[in-house]
Amino acid sequence: MNEQRRQILQMLAEGRITADEAERLIDALERERPESPPGATPGPKPRPRYLRVVVNSEDDASGDGPARVNIRVPLRLLRAGVRLASLVPPQALTKVNAELTRSGVPIDLTQLKPQHLDELIEHLDDLTVDVDQSDTKVQVFCE
Amino acid sequence: MIPHLVTVRHRRPDGSGLRLHVPVLPVLLVLSPLLLIAVLVGVVACLVVRVSPVGALRGAGQLLCALPGTRIEIDHGRTAVLVSVR
Repeated sequence: MNEQRRQILQMLAEGRITADEAERLIDALERERPESPPGATPGPKPRPRYLRVVVNSEDDASGDGPARVNIRVPLRLLRAGVRLASLVPPQALTKVNAELTRSGVPIDLTQLKPQHLDELIEHLDDLTVDVDQSDTKVQVFCE
Repeated sequence: MIPHLVTVRHRRPDGSGLRLHVPVLPVLLVLSPLLLIAVLVGVVACLVVRVSPVGALRGAGQLLCALPGTRIEIDHGRTAVLVSVR
């Protein structure tokens, strides 16, 4: 049993995630590392449909109990949002650029084209972010 | 395909809760007069700020159609909120 699978089962045993979430996480693990027989050509990787953000936090100092965040956003929604954002008029982008520069974030949004954002969304399926702290675990991945 | 059902669930710290199942299409039909006015206002706003109204309407439609599958679930102690779009 590999380490990640063991961690998922441990989180399930501790009640930090539900059985449904554990199943989805294990499925995501298996997609990440498909077990194909030696010599077989790997099939096309299934396209992910959702961006998942999972946060599990133990009981904090406030005593409110553990916190759990589970967000699933369809990647289609991100694409649609990007297309909608591409309608922002140039004069508004110029103002946003000025404010970003003033805030110390010198990003020129006028250089961001819709096709660049589309590519960004397309490559989100390779994204996996894991943040482990003693009492908090954050995972961002596509499934 | 536009969303069929939006589920909103809220659990308060005292254990009481609220669960709402909102059928989107009937609600849209009931609110269609207001929706029409909102669309007209939106089109005028787009013309004022020189944004293509057709593009904006298409973008908003794509956004609406992409909503199914969205699920937001937040638990904090005895409080919980769930928003699910199907």
